[in-house]
Amino acid sequence: MAVALMLLAAGAIFLYAPTDALQGPVQRIFYLHVSSAVAAYGCFAVVLVGGIIYLRNESPAADRFARAGALVGVVFTSVTLVMGMLWAKPIWGVYWTWDARLTSTLVLWIIYAGYLLVRRLAEPGRQAARIAAIVGIFGFVDVPVVHFSVTWWRTQHPGPIVVNDALPAEMLATFLFTLGCTLVLAATLIAIRYRIETLIDARQAIAEPTKLVAAPQPGAAP
Amino acid sequence: MNPLRVVLAVARKDLRAEWRTRELVPALAQFIILALLIGNFGFQIDSRNASTIAPGILWLALVFAGLVAFGRTFAAEREQASLEAMLMTPASPVAIFAGKALAAGALLVMCEAVLLPALSILFGTPFSGDVVAAVLLATVGMAALGVLFAAIVARVRARELLLPLLTLPLWIPFVIAGGVAVQSAMGLPGNYQQAIGLLLDFDILFIVLTSLAARFVLDE
Amino acid sequence: MTYLVIAYAFAVALLGGYLIWSLRTLRELERKE
Repeated sequence: MAVALMLLAAGAIFLYAPTDALQGPVQRIFYLHVSSAVAAYGCFAVVLVGGIIYLRNESPAADRFARAGALVGVVFTSVTLVMGMLWAKPIWGVYWTWDARLTSTLVLWIIYAGYLLVRRLAEPGRQAARIAAIVGIFGFVDVPVVHFSVTWWRTQHPGPIVVNDALPAEMLATFLFTLGCTLVLAATLIAIRYRIETLIDARQAIAEPTKLVAAPQPGAAP
Repeated sequence: MNPLRVVLAVARKDLRAEWRTRELVPALAQFIILALLIGNFGFQIDSRNASTIAPGILWLALVFAGLVAFGRTFAAEREQASLEAMLMTPASPVAIFAGKALAAGALLVMCEAVLLPALSILFGTPFSGDVVAAVLLATVGMAALGVLFAAIVARVRARELLLPLLTLPLWIPFVIAGGVAVQSAMGLPGNYQQAIGLLLDFDILFIVLTSLAARFVLDE
Repeated sequence: MTYLVIAYAFAVALLGGYLIWSLRTLRELERKE
């Protein structure tokens, strides 16, 4: 099931080979780079929604979706960042500039890597889920704020211009197709991860009562 | 219970505790002076580039002092398990949170009272009401966020590692706007009014958000 | 150009590798049931 979807995504990669880029082959990076970025934002929206739902009614399913979304989102953000840097080097001559988009994407990565760390370090269960939900919500709000701040900051200190994205029709079509496949891949990865989280949760639910039995507790058990 | 009373009571308790031990503020003040010293060596400051680099050093020193200060906000509660006791009273968690944020913010402001004159003396930058206003405005938002996340990591392992990781990304907008404000107040290009306006907007945004979140964080 | 190749190699390695790792983890967990 998942393999077929991956082949679809791979098909996209080979399908746009004939569509030649006018600015040199390096430009092709753009298709997967931008698709990954969009997929990543989608994943983090899942984290946001999952977090809000969890805070509202403590649904474990919502929390699992949030966890899955965060992990997959970080993966896609990593793809976006690295591909972007590899595109920047030949085109701009540097791997990095501190413009709004790059900076806020880096912040995005850091925030959700922090989300994953918090989950790992906090007591699993209610505490971790709540904390993470809040981190997820603040993180999602912070990224546009940072983006806006840097854009505003740039107008205070005018600097190098960023790329413009005018697209001829074939490229647009290729991009949209790649985007579609990437989103499908993202959804698949989230679904797989959700299932994994469900199994992990089930495993823990069995483990904890046995822990309580093994180590006798003073007083009545809850 | 009247929420405002709760806020002030909690703040007063924290500040009084700090006053009795007097450990945090002097330590932070020393830290700040050292930070300025290192900044001088790290950046090779001379009279020409002082006004360009000084704002950066200001924010670096402030951010790290803030992390230390806010990291300790819940230390006492953790050691004495008094947070649970406070939450069992009819006081609203948001009020408790606001009280702690107020106290922590006040402590940071005391550090700023050392930082700004020291910066001015050591680097020759102007020390104006504009600079003070910008720093104070930024402190408000930073305190709200810092204390919220301090509460979040209070019961987590490796909290010293997590607090900067979670808080710094959220402080970035404040450093950006505050940076421009301080720079323009010190004579560099930049729109001071806009920067201050932006700081105010961020303050309002994050005060609202942290107040909403406080309920979920402190309610355990 | 080489950057293009490296970029896509990285993306495929990361995404593909993650997919394979996820599926393997899933299979292991399901086997233990």
